[in-house]
Amino acid sequence: MTVTSVRVAPTACPRCRSATLGVVGKSSVAGVWTIFSCSTCFYAWRSTEPEENVDPEKYPAAFRLRPEDLARLKVVPPVPRRRPSL
Amino acid sequence: MRAYKDLREFLSVLEQERQLLRIHDQVLPEPDMAAAACALTQIGEESPAIYFDKIAGFSSARVAMNVHGSWCNHALALGMDKDASMRDQFFEFVRRFQLYPGTLERVENAPWQEVVVDKDVNLYELLPLFRLNRGDGGYFIDKACTISRDLDDWNNDDVENVGIYRLQVKGRNRLGIQTVPQHDIAIHMAHAEERGEDLPVAIALGNEPIITLMGATPLLYDQLEYKMAAVMQGAPYRVVKTAKGLDIPWGSEYVLEGRVLCGRRETEGPFGEFPGYYSGCHKYPVIEIDRVSHRKDPVYDAVYVGRPWTEIDFLQAMTTSAPIFLQIKSTFPEVVAVNALYTHGLVVVVSTKIRYGGFAKYVGLRVLTTTHGLGYAKIVIVVDENVDPFDLKQVMWAMSVKVNPAGDIVTIPNLAENLLDPACSPGGIATKMIIDATTPVAPDVRGDYGEELDRPLGTDQWQTKLSGLVKEMRK
Ligand SMILES: [Zn+2]
Repeated sequence: MTVTSVRVAPTACPRCRSATLGVVGKSSVAGVWTIFSCSTCFYAWRSTEPEENVDPEKYPAAFRLRPEDLARLKVVPPVPRRRPSL
Repeated sequence: MRAYKDLREFLSVLEQERQLLRIHDQVLPEPDMAAAACALTQIGEESPAIYFDKIAGFSSARVAMNVHGSWCNHALALGMDKDASMRDQFFEFVRRFQLYPGTLERVENAPWQEVVVDKDVNLYELLPLFRLNRGDGGYFIDKACTISRDLDDWNNDDVENVGIYRLQVKGRNRLGIQTVPQHDIAIHMAHAEERGEDLPVAIALGNEPIITLMGATPLLYDQLEYKMAAVMQGAPYRVVKTAKGLDIPWGSEYVLEGRVLCGRRETEGPFGEFPGYYSGCHKYPVIEIDRVSHRKDPVYDAVYVGRPWTEIDFLQAMTTSAPIFLQIKSTFPEVVAVNALYTHGLVVVVSTKIRYGGFAKYVGLRVLTTTHGLGYAKIVIVVDENVDPFDLKQVMWAMSVKVNPAGDIVTIPNLAENLLDPACSPGGIATKMIIDATTPVAPDVRGDYGEELDRPLGTDQWQTKLSGLVKEMRK
Protein backbone atom coordinates (compact mmCIF):
# COMPACT_ATOMS: atom_id res chain seq x y z
CA MET A 1 0.00 0.00 0.00
CA THR A 2 1.48 3.29 -1.04
CA VAL A 3 0.46 6.90 -1.01
CA THR A 4 -0.60 7.85 -4.51
CA SER A 5 -0.50 11.05 -6.52
CA VAL A 6 -0.61 14.57 -5.17
CA ARG A 7 -3.62 16.07 -6.90
CA VAL A 8 -4.19 19.65 -7.95
CA ALA A 9 -5.88 21.88 -5.41
CA PRO A 10 -9.68 21.50 -5.59
CA THR A 11 -11.90 24.43 -6.52
CA ALA A 12 -15.34 23.02 -5.66
CA CYS A 13 -16.85 20.84 -2.96
CA PRO A 14 -17.20 17.30 -4.36
CA ARG A 15 -20.61 16.92 -2.72
CA CYS A 16 -22.46 20.25 -3.16
CA ARG A 17 -20.13 21.91 -5.71
CA SER A 18 -19.96 25.16 -3.76
CA ALA A 19 -16.72 27.08 -3.96
CA THR A 20 -16.80 27.58 -0.18
CA LEU A 21 -13.93 25.29 0.67
CA GLY A 22 -10.72 25.58 2.59
CA VAL A 23 -7.82 23.63 3.97
CA VAL A 24 -8.54 22.47 7.51
CA GLY A 25 -5.74 20.03 8.22
CA LYS A 26 -2.38 18.77 7.01
CA SER A 27 -0.57 15.52 7.67
CA SER A 28 2.00 15.66 10.45
CA VAL A 29 4.39 13.95 8.05
CA ALA A 30 4.75 16.88 5.64
CA GLY A 31 3.26 16.64 2.19
CA VAL A 32 1.39 13.33 2.48
CA TRP A 33 -2.15 14.64 2.57
CA THR A 34 -4.36 17.69 3.09
CA ILE A 35 -7.89 17.74 4.48
CA PHE A 36 -10.41 20.12 2.90
CA SER A 37 -13.81 21.07 4.19
CA CYS A 38 -16.83 22.82 2.68
CA SER A 39 -18.44 25.49 4.85
CA THR A 40 -21.76 25.19 2.97
CA CYS A 41 -22.52 21.48 3.48
CA PHE A 42 -19.73 20.51 5.94
CA TYR A 43 -18.42 17.76 3.71
CA ALA A 44 -14.77 17.01 4.44
CA TRP A 45 -12.27 15.02 2.41
CA ARG A 46 -8.65 14.08 2.34
CA SER A 47 -6.56 14.54 -0.78
CA THR A 48 -5.48 10.89 -0.77
CA GLU A 49 -9.00 9.41 -0.73
CA PRO A 50 -10.43 7.40 -3.64
CA GLU A 51 -11.44 9.67 -6.54
CA GLU A 52 -15.16 9.36 -5.91
CA ASN A 53 -14.67 11.18 -2.61
CA VAL A 54 -12.50 14.02 -3.90
CA ASP A 55 -13.50 14.70 -7.49
CA PRO A 56 -16.82 16.55 -8.02
CA GLU A 57 -17.19 14.82 -11.40
CA LYS A 58 -16.91 11.39 -9.83
CA TYR A 59 -18.76 12.02 -6.60
CA PRO A 60 -21.64 9.45 -6.49
CA ALA A 61 -24.99 10.93 -7.52
CA ALA A 62 -26.74 9.22 -4.60
CA PHE A 63 -24.79 11.28 -2.07
CA ARG A 64 -24.81 14.68 -3.79
CA LEU A 65 -26.47 17.63 -2.11
CA ARG A 66 -27.79 20.88 -3.53
CA PRO A 67 -27.01 23.94 -1.39
CA GLU A 68 -30.56 25.23 -1.89
CA ASP A 69 -32.00 22.04 -0.31
CA LEU A 70 -30.06 22.33 2.92
CA ALA A 71 -32.47 24.80 4.52
CA ARG A 72 -35.28 22.25 4.13
CA LEU A 73 -33.59 19.47 6.14
CA LYS A 74 -35.50 18.25 9.16
CA VAL A 75 -34.44 19.91 12.45
CA VAL A 76 -33.85 17.30 15.18
CA PRO A 77 -34.54 17.83 18.01
CA PRO A 78 -36.67 20.94 17.60
CA VAL A 79 -35.38 24.01 19.46
CA PRO A 80 -37.57 24.48 22.54
CA ARG A 81 -39.13 27.77 23.55
CA ARG A 82 -37.13 29.88 26.04
CA ARG A 83 -38.42 29.97 29.59
CA PRO A 84 -39.65 33.41 30.64
CA SER A 85 -36.78 35.14 32.46
CA LEU A 86 -37.36 35.56 36.20
CA MET B 1 -15.53 -10.24 36.67
CA ARG B 2 -12.61 -7.98 35.95
CA ALA B 3 -11.99 -4.24 36.18
CA TYR B 4 -9.69 -3.21 33.32
CA LYS B 5 -8.12 0.10 34.27
CA ASP B 6 -7.96 1.33 30.68
CA LEU B 7 -8.12 0.42 27.01
CA ARG B 8 -4.40 -0.42 26.95
CA GLU B 9 -4.78 -3.08 29.61
CA PHE B 10 -7.69 -4.63 27.71
CA LEU B 11 -5.74 -4.58 24.43
CA SER B 12 -2.86 -6.39 26.10
CA VAL B 13 -5.25 -9.04 27.43
CA LEU B 14 -6.72 -9.43 23.94
CA GLU B 15 -3.19 -9.86 22.61
CA GLN B 16 -2.36 -12.54 25.19
CA GLU B 17 -5.56 -14.34 24.25
CA ARG B 18 -4.63 -14.05 20.55
CA GLN B 19 -7.61 -11.78 19.96
CA LEU B 20 -5.66 -8.77 18.71
CA LEU B 21 -4.06 -8.46 15.31
CA ARG B 22 -1.34 -5.84 14.74
CA ILE B 23 -1.04 -4.55 11.20
CA HIS B 24 2.63 -4.00 10.47
CA ASP B 25 2.27 -2.66 6.92
CA GLN B 26 1.65 1.01 6.29
CA VAL B 27 -2.01 1.73 5.55
CA LEU B 28 -3.83 4.66 4.02
CA PRO B 29 -6.49 6.27 6.23
CA GLU B 30 -8.93 5.70 3.34
CA PRO B 31 -10.01 3.21 2.25
CA ASP B 32 -7.67 0.77 4.01
CA MET B 33 -8.71 1.14 7.63
CA ALA B 34 -12.45 0.76 7.15
CA ALA B 35 -11.90 -1.96 4.55
CA ALA B 36 -9.73 -3.95 6.94
CA ALA B 37 -12.23 -3.56 9.78
CA CYS B 38 -15.09 -4.59 7.49
CA ALA B 39 -13.14 -7.59 6.20
CA LEU B 40 -12.47 -8.72 9.77
CA THR B 41 -16.19 -9.04 10.41
CA GLN B 42 -16.49 -11.37 7.40
CA ILE B 43 -13.79 -13.87 8.22
CA GLY B 44 -15.35 -15.82 11.03
CA GLU B 45 -17.03 -15.89 14.37
CA GLU B 46 -13.92 -15.29 16.44
CA SER B 47 -12.61 -12.19 14.73
CA PRO B 48 -9.94 -10.33 16.71
CA ALA B 49 -9.47 -6.64 17.38
CA ILE B 50 -7.18 -4.88 14.92
CA TYR B 51 -4.45 -2.35 15.68
CA PHE B 52 -2.86 0.10 13.27
CA ASP B 53 0.20 2.17 14.09
CA LYS B 54 1.66 2.88 10.66
CA ILE B 55 -0.88 5.17 9.04
CA ALA B 56 0.21 7.24 6.06
CA GLY B 57 0.80 10.87 6.93
CA PHE B 58 0.67 10.42 10.71
CA SER B 59 4.01 10.59 12.47
CA SER B 60 2.48 8.97 15.52
CA ALA B 61 -1.03 7.54 15.50
CA ARG B 62 -2.50 4.41 17.03
CA VAL B 63 -5.95 3.18 16.10
CA ALA B 64 -7.77 0.16 17.53
CA MET B 65 -10.92 -1.22 15.88
CA ASN B 66 -13.17 -4.22 16.38
CA VAL B 67 -12.25 -4.22 20.08
CA HIS B 68 -15.73 -5.61 20.97
CA GLY B 69 -16.10 -7.35 17.60
CA SER B 70 -16.67 -11.01 18.49
CA TRP B 71 -18.31 -13.04 21.23
CA CYS B 72 -14.81 -13.92 22.51
CA ASN B 73 -13.88 -10.25 22.85
CA HIS B 74 -17.27 -9.46 24.38
CA ALA B 75 -16.78 -12.25 26.94
CA LEU B 76 -13.28 -11.00 27.77
CA ALA B 77 -14.65 -7.47 28.18
CA LEU B 78 -17.01 -8.86 30.81
CA GLY B 79 -14.10 -10.72 32.42
CA MET B 80 -15.59 -14.11 31.43
CA ASP B 81 -13.98 -17.12 29.78
CA LYS B 82 -13.47 -16.29 26.12
CA ASP B 83 -15.42 -19.37 25.06
CA ALA B 84 -18.53 -18.39 27.10
CA SER B 85 -21.69 -18.97 25.05
CA MET B 86 -24.01 -16.14 24.08
CA ARG B 87 -26.56 -17.58 26.47
CA ASP B 88 -24.09 -17.61 29.38
CA GLN B 89 -23.01 -14.04 28.57
CA PHE B 90 -26.66 -12.97 28.53
CA PHE B 91 -27.46 -14.46 31.93
CA GLU B 92 -24.26 -13.11 33.48
CA PHE B 93 -24.98 -9.64 32.07
CA VAL B 94 -28.53 -9.83 33.47
CA ARG B 95 -27.27 -11.00 36.88
CA ARG B 96 -24.85 -8.09 37.21
CA PHE B 97 -27.38 -5.59 35.84
CA GLN B 98 -29.65 -6.33 38.80
CA LEU B 99 -26.88 -5.46 41.28
CA TYR B 100 -27.22 -1.75 40.34
CA PRO B 101 -26.05 0.65 41.77
CA GLY B 102 -22.32 0.31 42.29
CA THR B 103 -20.14 3.18 43.49
CA LEU B 104 -17.72 5.72 42.05
CA GLU B 105 -14.10 6.11 43.11
CA ARG B 106 -13.22 9.77 42.69
CA VAL B 107 -9.55 10.57 42.16
CA GLU B 108 -7.77 13.85 41.39
CA ASN B 109 -5.53 13.00 38.47
CA ALA B 110 -5.59 10.84 35.37
CA PRO B 111 -3.13 9.99 32.63
CA TRP B 112 -5.28 11.81 30.06
CA GLN B 113 -4.23 15.11 31.68
CA GLU B 114 -0.64 14.63 30.45
CA VAL B 115 -0.98 16.77 27.31
CA VAL B 116 -3.34 19.77 27.09
CA VAL B 117 -4.27 21.77 23.99
CA ASP B 118 -6.45 24.75 24.89
CA LYS B 119 -5.85 27.09 22.01
CA ASP B 120 -6.02 26.65 18.23
CA VAL B 121 -7.65 23.26 18.69
CA ASN B 122 -7.61 21.38 15.37
CA LEU B 123 -9.38 18.04 15.62
CA TYR B 124 -8.38 17.13 12.04
CA GLU B 125 -4.76 17.10 13.21
CA LEU B 126 -5.14 16.02 16.83
CA LEU B 127 -7.14 12.85 16.06
CA PRO B 128 -6.43 10.11 13.50
CA LEU B 129 -9.75 10.59 11.75
CA PHE B 130 -10.75 8.53 8.72
CA ARG B 131 -13.86 7.90 6.63
CA LEU B 132 -15.75 4.67 7.31
CA ASN B 133 -18.18 4.42 4.38
CA ARG B 134 -17.83 6.21 1.07
CA GLY B 135 -21.10 8.16 1.37
CA ASP B 136 -20.37 9.42 4.88
CA GLY B 137 -20.59 13.22 4.94
CA GLY B 138 -17.25 13.51 6.73
CA TYR B 139 -15.14 12.02 9.51
CA PHE B 140 -17.06 10.71 12.48
CA ILE B 141 -16.05 9.95 16.05
CA ASP B 142 -18.33 6.98 16.67
CA LYS B 143 -17.15 5.15 19.79
CA ALA B 144 -16.68 7.94 22.33
CA CYS B 145 -18.64 8.58 25.51
CA THR B 146 -20.31 11.99 25.65
CA ILE B 147 -20.80 13.13 29.23
CA SER B 148 -23.26 15.79 30.33
CA ARG B 149 -25.19 16.98 33.37
CA ASP B 150 -28.61 18.55 33.78
CA LEU B 151 -28.31 22.34 34.26
CA ASP B 152 -31.58 22.19 36.22
CA ASP B 153 -30.20 19.54 38.61
CA TRP B 154 -26.44 20.09 38.34
CA ASN B 155 -25.22 18.31 41.47
CA ASN B 156 -27.34 15.18 41.05
CA ASP B 157 -24.88 12.47 39.99
CA ASP B 158 -27.67 10.04 39.11
CA VAL B 159 -28.89 12.19 36.22
CA GLU B 160 -25.43 12.73 34.82
CA ASN B 161 -25.33 10.95 31.46
CA VAL B 162 -22.72 8.93 29.61
CA GLY B 163 -23.88 8.09 26.10
CA ILE B 164 -22.43 7.09 22.76
CA TYR B 165 -23.66 9.40 20.05
CA ARG B 166 -22.18 9.77 16.61
CA LEU B 167 -20.12 12.95 16.31
CA GLN B 168 -19.26 14.45 12.93
CA VAL B 169 -16.12 16.57 12.81
CA LYS B 170 -17.37 19.66 10.98
CA GLY B 171 -14.62 22.15 11.61
CA ARG B 172 -11.32 22.43 13.42
CA ASN B 173 -13.07 22.68 16.79
CA ARG B 174 -16.63 21.90 15.76
CA LEU B 175 -18.68 18.71 15.99
CA GLY B 176 -22.19 17.76 14.97
CA ILE B 177 -24.00 15.45 17.39
CA GLN B 178 -26.76 13.04 16.35
CA THR B 179 -29.40 12.81 19.02
CA VAL B 180 -33.10 12.03 18.97
CA PRO B 181 -35.57 13.26 21.59
CA GLN B 182 -35.60 9.80 23.25
CA HIS B 183 -31.91 10.07 24.24
CA ASP B 184 -31.05 11.17 27.78
CA ILE B 185 -28.70 13.90 26.55
CA ALA B 186 -31.66 15.39 24.64
CA ILE B 187 -33.28 16.15 28.01
CA HIS B 188 -30.11 17.98 29.11
CA MET B 189 -29.99 19.87 25.83
CA ALA B 190 -33.65 20.84 26.05
CA HIS B 191 -33.22 22.18 29.60
CA ALA B 192 -30.16 24.18 28.54
CA GLU B 193 -31.96 25.63 25.52
CA GLU B 194 -35.04 26.53 27.59
CA ARG B 195 -32.66 28.46 29.84
CA GLY B 196 -30.90 30.06 26.88
CA GLU B 197 -27.51 28.57 27.84
CA ASP B 198 -24.85 26.43 26.19
CA LEU B 199 -24.59 22.92 27.66
CA PRO B 200 -21.10 21.90 28.89
CA VAL B 201 -20.09 18.46 27.61
CA ALA B 202 -17.00 16.28 27.67
CA ILE B 203 -16.17 13.59 25.15
CA ALA B 204 -14.06 10.71 26.43
CA LEU B 205 -12.41 8.62 23.76
CA GLY B 206 -10.46 5.38 23.97
CA ASN B 207 -11.96 3.72 27.03
CA GLU B 208 -11.84 0.39 28.84
CA PRO B 209 -14.48 -1.90 27.35
CA ILE B 210 -17.22 -1.82 30.01
CA ILE B 211 -18.12 1.88 29.96
CA THR B 212 -18.49 1.64 26.17
CA LEU B 213 -21.08 -1.11 26.65
CA MET B 214 -22.84 0.96 29.33
CA GLY B 215 -22.94 4.02 27.06
CA ALA B 216 -24.79 1.83 24.58
CA THR B 217 -27.28 0.50 27.17
CA PRO B 218 -30.72 2.13 27.44
CA LEU B 219 -30.60 2.86 31.19
CA LEU B 220 -33.27 4.88 32.95
CA TYR B 221 -32.82 8.66 33.05
CA ASP B 222 -31.78 8.56 36.72
CA GLN B 223 -29.40 5.60 36.40
CA LEU B 224 -25.76 6.60 36.07
CA GLU B 225 -23.69 4.57 33.59
CA TYR B 226 -20.62 4.68 35.89
CA LYS B 227 -22.62 3.06 38.70
CA MET B 228 -23.74 0.32 36.29
CA ALA B 229 -20.16 -0.08 35.02
CA ALA B 230 -19.08 -0.58 38.64
CA VAL B 231 -21.37 -3.59 39.12
CA MET B 232 -20.45 -4.93 35.68
CA GLN B 233 -16.73 -4.90 36.51
CA GLY B 234 -17.15 -5.84 40.18
CA ALA B 235 -15.25 -2.81 41.52
CA PRO B 236 -15.95 0.91 42.08
CA TYR B 237 -15.65 2.90 38.84
CA ARG B 238 -12.72 5.34 38.86
CA VAL B 239 -13.46 8.83 37.56
CA VAL B 240 -11.85 12.28 37.52
CA LYS B 241 -13.78 15.56 37.43
CA THR B 242 -13.17 18.22 34.81
CA ALA B 243 -12.97 21.88 35.88
CA LYS B 244 -16.62 22.20 34.77
CA GLY B 245 -17.66 19.31 37.05
CA LEU B 246 -18.18 16.47 34.57
CA ASP B 247 -16.99 13.00 35.58
CA ILE B 248 -14.57 11.37 33.14
CA PRO B 249 -13.25 7.79 33.15
CA TRP B 250 -9.78 7.74 34.71
CA GLY B 251 -8.57 5.52 31.89
CA SER B 252 -9.62 7.55 28.83
CA GLU B 253 -7.05 8.24 26.12
CA TYR B 254 -8.45 11.58 24.86
CA VAL B 255 -10.87 14.02 26.50
CA LEU B 256 -12.53 16.79 24.46
CA GLU B 257 -14.26 19.52 26.47
CA GLY B 258 -16.72 21.95 25.00
CA ARG B 259 -20.29 23.19 24.77
CA VAL B 260 -23.44 22.26 22.86
CA LEU B 261 -24.31 25.60 21.31
CA CYS B 262 -27.69 26.90 22.44
CA GLY B 263 -30.34 26.89 19.72
CA ARG B 264 -27.93 25.95 16.90
CA ARG B 265 -28.74 23.26 14.31
CA GLU B 266 -26.58 22.51 11.28
CA THR B 267 -26.40 20.03 8.44
CA GLU B 268 -25.14 16.66 9.65
CA GLY B 269 -24.64 13.34 7.89
CA PRO B 270 -25.15 11.11 6.18
CA PHE B 271 -23.51 8.31 8.14
CA GLY B 272 -23.64 4.58 7.40
CA GLU B 273 -25.86 3.43 10.27
CA PHE B 274 -26.65 0.22 12.14
CA PRO B 275 -29.61 -0.91 9.98
CA GLY B 276 -27.15 -1.24 7.08
CA TYR B 277 -28.31 2.00 5.39
CA TYR B 278 -27.10 5.57 5.28
CA SER B 279 -28.92 7.86 7.69
CA GLY B 280 -29.56 10.81 5.36
CA CYS B 281 -28.91 14.43 6.39
CA HIS B 282 -30.64 16.38 9.13
CA LYS B 283 -30.09 19.62 11.01
CA TYR B 284 -28.56 18.46 14.28
CA PRO B 285 -27.04 20.28 17.28
CA VAL B 286 -23.46 21.53 17.26
CA ILE B 287 -20.65 21.25 19.80
CA GLU B 288 -17.75 23.70 19.99
CA ILE B 289 -14.57 22.23 21.50
CA ASP B 290 -12.48 24.51 23.73
CA ARG B 291 -9.89 22.09 25.06
CA VAL B 292 -8.40 18.71 24.19
CA SER B 293 -6.45 16.64 26.70
CA HIS B 294 -4.77 13.36 25.93
CA ARG B 295 -2.25 10.82 27.06
CA LYS B 296 1.19 10.65 25.53
CA ASP B 297 0.92 8.43 22.45
CA PRO B 298 -2.88 8.17 22.73
CA VAL B 299 -4.80 5.21 21.30
CA TYR B 300 -7.83 6.13 19.20
CA ASP B 301 -10.74 3.68 19.23
CA ALA B 302 -13.36 3.42 16.47
CA VAL B 303 -16.19 1.09 15.52
CA TYR B 304 -16.81 0.10 11.90
CA VAL B 305 -20.50 0.15 11.02
CA GLY B 306 -21.61 -1.74 7.92
CA ARG B 307 -24.26 -4.11 6.73
CA PRO B 308 -24.81 -6.35 9.79
CA TRP B 309 -22.99 -8.08 11.37
CA THR B 310 -20.24 -5.69 12.27
CA GLU B 311 -18.74 -4.61 15.58
CA ILE B 312 -21.65 -2.29 16.39
CA ASP B 313 -23.95 -5.32 16.57
CA PHE B 314 -21.93 -6.60 19.54
CA LEU B 315 -22.19 -3.22 21.27
CA GLN B 316 -25.99 -3.35 20.92
CA ALA B 317 -26.47 -7.04 21.72
CA MET B 318 -26.60 -7.91 25.42
CA THR B 319 -26.95 -4.22 26.23
CA THR B 320 -30.32 -4.32 24.43
CA SER B 321 -31.46 -7.83 25.37
CA ALA B 322 -30.97 -7.48 29.14
CA PRO B 323 -33.14 -4.39 29.77
CA ILE B 324 -35.96 -5.80 27.61
CA PHE B 325 -35.78 -9.12 29.48
CA LEU B 326 -35.87 -7.48 32.93
CA GLN B 327 -38.79 -5.25 31.97
CA ILE B 328 -40.92 -8.10 30.59
CA LYS B 329 -40.01 -10.38 33.46
CA SER B 330 -41.35 -7.86 35.97
CA THR B 331 -44.79 -8.36 34.35
CA PHE B 332 -44.45 -11.98 33.23
CA PRO B 333 -42.11 -14.02 35.45
CA GLU B 334 -42.62 -16.94 33.02
CA VAL B 335 -40.21 -15.34 30.52
CA VAL B 336 -36.97 -17.35 30.28
CA ALA B 337 -34.66 -15.36 28.00
CA VAL B 338 -34.66 -12.59 25.36
CA ASN B 339 -32.55 -12.39 22.21
CA ALA B 340 -32.53 -8.85 20.82
CA LEU B 341 -29.18 -9.28 19.06
CA TYR B 342 -30.30 -8.62 15.53
CA THR B 343 -30.05 -5.10 14.14
CA HIS B 344 -30.41 -3.45 17.53
CA GLY B 345 -33.47 -5.53 18.39
CA LEU B 346 -35.64 -4.71 15.36
CA VAL B 347 -36.31 -8.44 15.64
CA VAL B 348 -36.69 -9.90 19.13
CA VAL B 349 -36.93 -13.59 20.07
CA VAL B 350 -38.45 -14.36 23.47
CA SER B 351 -38.68 -17.75 25.12
CA THR B 352 -41.32 -18.23 27.76
CA LYS B 353 -43.22 -20.76 29.80
CA ILE B 354 -46.87 -20.79 28.76
CA ARG B 355 -49.41 -20.09 31.49
CA TYR B 356 -52.46 -21.05 29.40
CA GLY B 357 -53.60 -21.14 25.79
CA GLY B 358 -53.19 -17.76 24.09
CA PHE B 359 -50.62 -16.50 26.60
CA ALA B 360 -47.67 -16.22 24.19
CA LYS B 361 -49.26 -13.40 22.21
CA TYR B 362 -49.52 -11.30 25.40
CA VAL B 363 -45.80 -11.84 25.96
CA GLY B 364 -45.22 -10.59 22.42
CA LEU B 365 -47.37 -7.53 23.03
CA ARG B 366 -45.47 -6.81 26.22
CA VAL B 367 -42.18 -6.73 24.27
CA LEU B 368 -43.66 -3.97 22.11
CA THR B 369 -44.47 -1.89 25.19
CA THR B 370 -41.00 -2.05 26.78
CA THR B 371 -38.98 1.15 26.45
CA HIS B 372 -36.90 -0.45 23.70
CA GLY B 373 -39.99 -1.94 22.09
CA LEU B 374 -41.54 1.48 21.61
CA GLY B 375 -38.74 2.59 19.30
CA TYR B 376 -37.14 -0.54 17.87
CA ALA B 377 -38.80 -3.98 18.28
CA LYS B 378 -40.84 -4.51 15.12
CA ILE B 379 -41.01 -8.29 14.75
CA VAL B 380 -41.36 -10.40 17.90
CA ILE B 381 -40.98 -14.18 17.74
CA VAL B 382 -42.25 -15.98 20.84
CA VAL B 383 -40.91 -19.50 21.44
CA ASP B 384 -41.42 -22.13 24.12
CA GLU B 385 -39.27 -22.32 27.23
CA ASN B 386 -37.35 -25.34 25.88
CA VAL B 387 -36.26 -23.44 22.75
CA ASP B 388 -33.04 -21.48 23.24
CA PRO B 389 -33.70 -18.06 21.66
CA PHE B 390 -29.95 -17.60 21.08
CA ASP B 391 -29.78 -20.77 18.96
CA LEU B 392 -31.30 -19.81 15.62
CA LYS B 393 -31.44 -23.46 14.51
CA GLN B 394 -33.86 -24.08 17.33
CA VAL B 395 -35.78 -20.87 16.61
CA MET B 396 -36.18 -21.84 12.95
CA TRP B 397 -37.41 -25.29 13.99
CA ALA B 398 -40.06 -23.66 16.17
CA MET B 399 -41.01 -21.31 13.31
CA SER B 400 -41.20 -24.29 10.93
CA VAL B 401 -43.48 -26.54 12.94
CA LYS B 402 -45.25 -24.49 15.58
CA VAL B 403 -46.54 -21.69 13.38
CA ASN B 404 -49.77 -21.80 11.44
CA PRO B 405 -50.05 -18.35 9.89
CA ALA B 406 -53.85 -18.62 10.08
CA GLY B 407 -53.78 -18.09 13.84
CA ASP B 408 -50.22 -17.27 14.87
CA ILE B 409 -49.46 -13.97 13.14
CA VAL B 410 -50.67 -10.75 14.72
CA THR B 411 -49.99 -7.44 13.01
CA ILE B 412 -50.68 -4.04 14.52
CA PRO B 413 -50.66 -1.19 12.04
CA ASN B 414 -49.11 2.27 12.42
CA LEU B 415 -47.08 2.06 15.61
CA ALA B 416 -44.22 4.41 16.49
CA GLU B 417 -40.81 3.23 15.28
CA ASN B 418 -37.28 4.62 15.16
CA LEU B 419 -36.87 6.69 12.01
CA LEU B 420 -33.54 4.98 11.24
CA ASP B 421 -35.58 1.85 10.36
CA PRO B 422 -35.77 2.18 6.58
CA ALA B 423 -38.98 0.12 6.41
CA CYS B 424 -40.95 2.86 8.19
CA SER B 425 -43.81 4.33 6.20
CA PRO B 426 -44.12 7.21 6.79
CA GLY B 427 -40.82 7.83 8.66
CA GLY B 428 -41.22 7.02 12.35
CA ILE B 429 -44.27 4.77 11.80
CA ALA B 430 -44.37 1.01 11.09
CA THR B 431 -46.68 -1.97 11.31
CA LYS B 432 -45.42 -4.42 13.90
CA MET B 433 -45.80 -8.20 14.01
CA ILE B 434 -45.91 -10.92 16.62
CA ILE B 435 -45.20 -14.49 15.52
CA ASP B 436 -46.47 -17.03 18.04
CA ALA B 437 -44.06 -19.96 17.57
CA THR B 438 -45.07 -21.73 20.76
CA THR B 439 -46.96 -25.03 20.89
CA PRO B 440 -50.69 -24.37 21.31
CA VAL B 441 -51.99 -25.49 24.71
CA ALA B 442 -55.60 -25.77 25.90
CA PRO B 443 -57.92 -24.08 25.41
CA ASP B 444 -56.04 -23.10 22.23
CA VAL B 445 -56.42 -26.56 20.68
CA ARG B 446 -55.12 -25.87 17.18
CA GLY B 447 -52.85 -28.35 15.39
CA ASP B 448 -52.12 -32.01 15.96
CA TYR B 449 -48.93 -32.05 17.96
CA GLY B 450 -48.94 -35.31 19.92
CA GLU B 451 -45.63 -36.04 21.58
CA GLU B 452 -42.48 -34.04 20.91
CA LEU B 453 -39.26 -36.03 20.44
CA ASP B 454 -36.84 -36.16 23.33
CA ARG B 455 -33.35 -37.60 23.58
CA PRO B 456 -32.42 -41.23 24.28
CA LEU B 457 -31.54 -42.08 27.89
CA GLY B 458 -27.84 -41.44 28.54
CA THR B 459 -27.31 -38.82 25.79
CA ASP B 460 -25.82 -36.29 28.23
CA GLN B 461 -23.22 -38.75 29.55
CA TRP B 462 -22.35 -39.77 26.01
CA GLN B 463 -21.99 -36.14 25.04
CA THR B 464 -19.44 -35.50 27.78
CA LYS B 465 -17.54 -38.70 26.93
CA LEU B 466 -17.52 -38.12 23.18
CA SER B 467 -16.46 -34.46 23.43
CA GLY B 468 -13.42 -35.61 25.39
CA LEU B 469 -12.62 -38.36 22.87
CA VAL B 470 -13.01 -36.04 19.89
CA LYS B 471 -10.71 -33.46 21.51
CA GLU B 472 -8.16 -36.23 22.18
CA MET B 473 -8.40 -37.52 18.61
CA ARG B 474 -7.72 -34.04 17.15
CA LYS B 475 -4.74 -33.19 19.35
ZN1 LIG C 1 -20.29 21.22 0.10
